[in-house]
Amino acid sequence: MTVGQPVERVDGRAKVTGDARYAADRTLPGMLYSYLVMGTIARGRVTSVDTAAARAVPGVVEVFTHENAPRLTSDQHFMPLQGTQIHYNGQIVAITVATTPEQAQEAAELVRVTYAPETPKAVIADALTEVYLPANQEVIVGDPTAGLAAAEVTVTQNYSSPPHHHNPIEPHATVAQWDGDHLTVHETSQGVVNAQRTFASAFAIPQTNVRVLAPYLGGGFGGKSPVWPHSLLNAAIARQLGRPAKMVLTRAQMYSIVSHRAEFRQQVTLGAKRDGTLTALVHLSTQQLSRTSENMYSHSISSRMLYACPNIHTRQQGVRLDVPTSRFMRSPQMASHFGLETALDELSYQLGIDPVELRRRNYTDVNPTTGERFSSRFLLDCYKLGADAFGWSRRNPKPGSTRDGHEFVGWGMATEAHDHNANPSSAMVRMAADGTVLSQTATQDIGTGTYTVFTQVVADALGVPLNQVKVELGDTNFPPAALSAGSGTIASVTGAVNAAALAVRTAVVQLAVSNPASPLHGLPAEQIITQHGYLFSPDRSRRESYRAVMARHGAPVQNTSSMTNARGYSTGAVFVEVRVDPRYGRVRVTRGVGAYDAGRVMNHKTAGSQVIGGFTWGIGNALMEHTVLDRRTARVVNPNLSTYLLAVNADVPDIQAIFVNKPDPVSTALGARGFGETPITGVPAAIGNAIFHATGRRIRDLPFTQDKLL
Amino acid sequence: MIPFDYRLAPDVDGAVAAATGWGGVAFLAGGTNLVDHMKLGVAAPEVLVDISRLPLDAVEELPDGGLRIGATVRNSDLAAHPAVRRDYPVLARALLSGASGQVRNLATTGGNLLQRTRCAYFQDLSTPCNKREPGTGCSAIGGYTRQHAILGASAHCVATHPSDMAVAMAALDAQVTVLGTSGRRVIPLVELHRLPGDEPHRDTVLSPSDLITAVELPPLPEGTRSLYRKVRDRASYAFALVSVAAVLRVEDGVVRDVRIALGGVAHKPWRARRAEDVLRGSPVDGSPADEEVFRRAAEAELAGAAPLAGNGFKVPLARNTVVSALRGLSREER
Repeated sequence: MTVGQPVERVDGRAKVTGDARYAADRTLPGMLYSYLVMGTIARGRVTSVDTAAARAVPGVVEVFTHENAPRLTSDQHFMPLQGTQIHYNGQIVAITVATTPEQAQEAAELVRVTYAPETPKAVIADALTEVYLPANQEVIVGDPTAGLAAAEVTVTQNYSSPPHHHNPIEPHATVAQWDGDHLTVHETSQGVVNAQRTFASAFAIPQTNVRVLAPYLGGGFGGKSPVWPHSLLNAAIARQLGRPAKMVLTRAQMYSIVSHRAEFRQQVTLGAKRDGTLTALVHLSTQQLSRTSENMYSHSISSRMLYACPNIHTRQQGVRLDVPTSRFMRSPQMASHFGLETALDELSYQLGIDPVELRRRNYTDVNPTTGERFSSRFLLDCYKLGADAFGWSRRNPKPGSTRDGHEFVGWGMATEAHDHNANPSSAMVRMAADGTVLSQTATQDIGTGTYTVFTQVVADALGVPLNQVKVELGDTNFPPAALSAGSGTIASVTGAVNAAALAVRTAVVQLAVSNPASPLHGLPAEQIITQHGYLFSPDRSRRESYRAVMARHGAPVQNTSSMTNARGYSTGAVFVEVRVDPRYGRVRVTRGVGAYDAGRVMNHKTAGSQVIGGFTWGIGNALMEHTVLDRRTARVVNPNLSTYLLAVNADVPDIQAIFVNKPDPVSTALGARGFGETPITGVPAAIGNAIFHATGRRIRDLPFTQDKLL
Repeated sequence: MIPFDYRLAPDVDGAVAAATGWGGVAFLAGGTNLVDHMKLGVAAPEVLVDISRLPLDAVEELPDGGLRIGATVRNSDLAAHPAVRRDYPVLARALLSGASGQVRNLATTGGNLLQRTRCAYFQDLSTPCNKREPGTGCSAIGGYTRQHAILGASAHCVATHPSDMAVAMAALDAQVTVLGTSGRRVIPLVELHRLPGDEPHRDTVLSPSDLITAVELPPLPEGTRSLYRKVRDRASYAFALVSVAAVLRVEDGVVRDVRIALGGVAHKPWRARRAEDVLRGSPVDGSPADEEVFRRAAEAELAGAAPLAGNGFKVPLARNTVVSALRGLSREER
């Protein structure tokens, strides 16, 4: 069995040698380059666009403005260049097209746009009187008012978090090529099948006329799930000009047209008995919406699913601002989760109950909102495994009680939780006449290890070595499969890959036992053992290699299978140590332990990497990460990786990842659940809770920058 | 991308000659800041004079115990130089606290001194900026000012100088050798950079064809200690919120020599003369009681601070960092 083993990434070599070809690496004969001109006001109208100087640049083929841009609509997004209205700073106001990227960029810098600007509203504080409740954003379970009345202790606190941007290391890129009314797009996409649908719909052509490829992705974090308007515009330009067209976004452009995590404010009220039992949980939140969309992406699911509480009220309010539309960003539930997990810590001090114990006392096997039993849940094991590994029992509960030189030392913890998607998926497995195996499915590897895990699944199902299996992903020519978002890839697609591989195994075994030329001839098929590339008799006295069976057969054996899976909920517990130097207000995270219930762990290395990545991101989220908007202009002030700070290696301690590793019995993905988004959700609260334990100071507004702790 | 001319400087004199007579000229060495600015459109020189191959890449130990650092010595090489590590730990620490390993491998001594502010509004062509386009106004005032100045700013500009190396050199009384069209001259490093006043577009006293050829460090007397302390928003690869370069010599329990420079607080490396005046001659015994005089010194310097809406925290942060830096130097054990 290779499933569960820490198998090295099968695509690692291709990535480090440059063999892996990303969307921006595609260069086609006769290709043109598109470059975006971004608006500089957040609200108002374009009054004129002067393109004369841009058109005079050598190599420039066309300059598109709202006056001459291809007419497009999108059922998902506001489509720029269709009129004069400006809805956010950094909106696309023109596109230059030239024979080299340098010419296109130079021309873009020469486009002169004049505006009739209006005063924008940039942050929630600018529009507090305009907060409202969109449809279907309120859930009430039981009687929260009565629950609060029955409480012996209550905590009510406000928390906030700033906007964030996805910042995958690979910028968004799109290359479009038309052949008649057939379109091929190399797209930085977390979902080629969804992208295929979007392109087909935008250009009113059959879905089968569109091929989308995304074999490799340099991260996405949700920002590459939709097809954004710039990709549709680039494809429209390619069609209009009759040549392939490439567009690669700059880092700065990614701060206005490919979404973000919304600014978020929340108030959490907890009611509890003296023994810690929750009697009521009221979670009111307000998140930024845009002028063109009231979709919400930061949900209070943790408050509705995580703890035993008979009376729950979640109310997700919004406020429209003159900023781009937000969208899912890695672990969208983490924004509200931060409030819940911090409030629980505050409650623990008020009650004098250990924070782990408080959570244990509110553990539930049942979804408190729906009453349904979780298919499997080992969260209590996570608390125990994590606490033991961390040494939590040695913690002195009194804040400010541990000092080391100038630094105060604190320990904090939080539950981690995120639900995951499961979408119907299909996969093909083919064993060639030479015994090698190919698996194809139109899901993606967004950097998480999908290629590796599917290679393991196929190898195990067939009983062949890993190096006999090749997996291909990210192409709509393959059997349709899930979007790689919502932690859903492994949960959605593994079952189909496994089923197809098992079907091939069955067929090959049948070829052997039914053929007099095989040493296995006449044995019952169900008794054949497959391992190491061989088929064995039950007593292993006789064997024949897959290669030999296939050579005799002389033709490939192939199967395509489909599978559905249930959505799931992966939980865990994270423990951190911080050191706070009050002279500088500086917080260092010096230890981290996470213990998780993710169902079966398919690969301890790639799953562990999700923990390291999530924890690292959580440190950044807690201590430094924020998109800064100039309140006067609603323009991003820090649209680059020099000033949009993420944790660097020196900020990150050794991180220990522990897995309960018990298969979820209802999961068709060999017992695995989706997991990627769980480890990060609790980290900001755990760090804030540790800061409180270190110093006695409670910081409720992210990020916990040094000025807040001086 | 705007087209520009490129000249490879044949020798030091030729570099100055090649840079003379243009409307917009820039010397290209490591390019770690200039090339970024050309991509952003912040800088659009007509001509680049490439000085990266000039023989200015040596570090020489001088007979008097000082050090001469060529203008194109790379930051990495300077930080690793045995004489720097031995005699000027404040400089080695400052260099290593700046940028990233990759950037330090390219960035040069002269270029580091002449790097420009990282003010976000300076880098964003869509926003007015007196430094980028004189007379258009300052967008930082009233905007995002977390990284901005608390000392010596003006109504026209509140930008900070981003260098760590220059802060250490300011505390070391470094002398900058400059070759211009009228010959060679020496400028004290603390006078190289300007305060913004009403001409914030002028970062330094140099003219465009002036070429920095070397920086000289005078020797430090026996018994002098020095260190660099930098406070920033993450543990590496971030500009200073506040930094302190401190040089201290205590003899017989009395401060004989002290030099303090602050980074991240002003348009130039800020030499803290007022704090030095308070400290010079003060008794110091390495005990926690020293903190009182260190605090008084820091507060004397920061009495003139004029923080902006978004950076008031820098005043106590600078005070605490000065105190902790001096404590670090005065204690018997390090």
